[in-house]
Amino acid sequence: MSSTHPIGTPVQDPALPADTLLSVRNLQTHFFSREGTVKAVDGVTFDVKQGEILGIAGESGCGKSVTSQSIMRILPKNAKIVGGEILYNHQGQVIDLTAVDPNGRVIRAIRGKEISMIFQEPMSAFSPVHTIGNQIIETIRIHQPMSKAEAREQAIEMLHRVGMPNPGRNIDQYTFNLSGGMRQRAMVALALSCRPKLLIADEPTTAVDVTIQAQILKLLREIQADLGMAIIMITHDLGVIAELTDRVMIMYLGKEVEYGSVENLFHRPKHPYTRGLLASIPKMAPGRIEIEPIEGSVPSPYALPTGCKFHPRCRDFMRGVCEVSEPPLIPIAPGHEVSCYLYGGREERA
Amino acid sequence: MLPFIAKRLLLMVPTLLIISVVGFIIIQAPPGDFVSSYVAALQKQGDVIDPELITGLRARFGLDQPLHIQYWRWVSNFAQGNLGYSMSLRQPVADIILERLPFSVTISLLSLILVYVIGIPVGILSATRQYSLADYTATIISFLGVATPSFLLALVMLWLLFVWTGNAQLGLYSMEMQNAPFSLAKMLDLLNHIWLPALIVGIGGTAGLIRTMRANLLDELPKPYVTVARARGVGPTKLLYKYPLRIAINPVISTVGYTLPDLIEGEVLVSLVLGLPTLAPILLRALLQQDMWLASSVIMIQAILVLIGTLLSDILLAIVDPRIRGSV
Repeated sequence: MSSTHPIGTPVQDPALPADTLLSVRNLQTHFFSREGTVKAVDGVTFDVKQGEILGIAGESGCGKSVTSQSIMRILPKNAKIVGGEILYNHQGQVIDLTAVDPNGRVIRAIRGKEISMIFQEPMSAFSPVHTIGNQIIETIRIHQPMSKAEAREQAIEMLHRVGMPNPGRNIDQYTFNLSGGMRQRAMVALALSCRPKLLIADEPTTAVDVTIQAQILKLLREIQADLGMAIIMITHDLGVIAELTDRVMIMYLGKEVEYGSVENLFHRPKHPYTRGLLASIPKMAPGRIEIEPIEGSVPSPYALPTGCKFHPRCRDFMRGVCEVSEPPLIPIAPGHEVSCYLYGGREERA
Repeated sequence: MLPFIAKRLLLMVPTLLIISVVGFIIIQAPPGDFVSSYVAALQKQGDVIDPELITGLRARFGLDQPLHIQYWRWVSNFAQGNLGYSMSLRQPVADIILERLPFSVTISLLSLILVYVIGIPVGILSATRQYSLADYTATIISFLGVATPSFLLALVMLWLLFVWTGNAQLGLYSMEMQNAPFSLAKMLDLLNHIWLPALIVGIGGTAGLIRTMRANLLDELPKPYVTVARARGVGPTKLLYKYPLRIAINPVISTVGYTLPDLIEGEVLVSLVLGLPTLAPILLRALLQQDMWLASSVIMIQAILVLIGTLLSDILLAIVDPRIRGSV
């Protein structure tokens, strides 16, 4: 996280530190429809270092998936990146992904090869009328000049690596032949088939049951250690965040509310929303289970609250402050930032 | 696959039996028989008919037998390839069908090709450029195409062509070619005439297919596997043709079988209007004169063609869709 680039200030220097793979700066992605504009992502800034695992967490609709779709430039037709930069360190050369043609050669050479993605629903992520091998081999051959036989070898090898029971046979199977866990493994193999530098996992464990969820997380951790790629883990499940990631960004209604190491966030949460999320994880107390839900519900994206987006649900709401203007993201400890007036930032208001 | 085809072929036998019974009963449903309508026609011209001649005729054609015996005689002969004798045209039914069936089949096949060659690309265009001028144009034309009865279209086209060229585009050959021996020139002359009925018969189906293709593709385009393919770096052409189109086209292939009866039915009306030497006018005439051997046989031949078409489309579907292949 570059605290030198707080929200709103333009990026002066497009160069990235060598260890930074991806730098998203003040990203704004909006959806346009007849009902109005939805600011799905409205000023999000974060860095991904080579080989690290970053978690992005928040409730559904907070803009975490749209963030990943913006990076891949696979947004739906009615969505548009209206501001910010997505700087990608492409072999020492910095490319602003927001500036490339979403159907052009540059992004197509990056998709699947440099940055790849695991999706929530493995069943629908594969074409039902093509074998999984067909799709893996296709991906390999788009990005690497090799014969079908060589690509097939590589695909089988990758299926083996993700723990498919019988890679030589599985490669010629269709998704409807596979169990849920196998499908998600195949999805991982597909995403990793070109050994990407960055893997974006968008709710990879949401559609599978708990035992398979644990297996998939274990697999991701092993493969990350093995291949050394960076991972952006997008989830609403704080358990997954705690288990897998190094650093976390918490999002609420398209805004970044808190950002820091997993340790800081879980042991020293600052933002009332982060605290609320943590409190809403069921805890086993002697004799009973305690759950403390966050009051209220997520407001309609067409009628966002003024000021801090969380203020109508906030326990520490300060009248005359929070609903007036948006709190900036301020550093409160090295590598720990929060966007809340409880921790200052009022003097910065004009 | 082979057991599936064998099963389907076996299933055709009871299907055809049912069609033959129903068809035979319906043909026999109007009061009287061929002899009575023949006699009525003669009497209209003032002839006096000897009642013994009538009984004689009935006995000769077997029309004095009970209905189930008549049916059995016809169906058992039909199964052995003996299609019987046309009482009204006084020639073997097989000869009549052999002479006219090729034209019917050619018109139907040409329309079928036309339906797919026009319907699929226009449907794709309509879906990929949704709400564009091209899409709206295709939509309006296809609505008109679905809503216009083929016989009306045939009349309008006939009139338009007459106004424009001064020729009545009737029949399948020009006057001078009508009785000419078979040659390349005659073939070209046939092609020059046959496109019109093929076009008219195919227009309803084409319009329907444009709608189906557009809807199917619009259903598939936003599906996750397309996004995933995009996220893998697949280029725009393959992104359309290899994935969503491949799946959107499955229901289109499976409905080839259902399109056939429509085409045959359309061909009947269009042939009557344009005066084509196909099976259709013969069937109508046979029904009016209660020439039951001819009518029943024509209906059976058409039923067999439809069943074969349906089977072919099912086989095709099993080939392109592994989900279906797995379950047959």
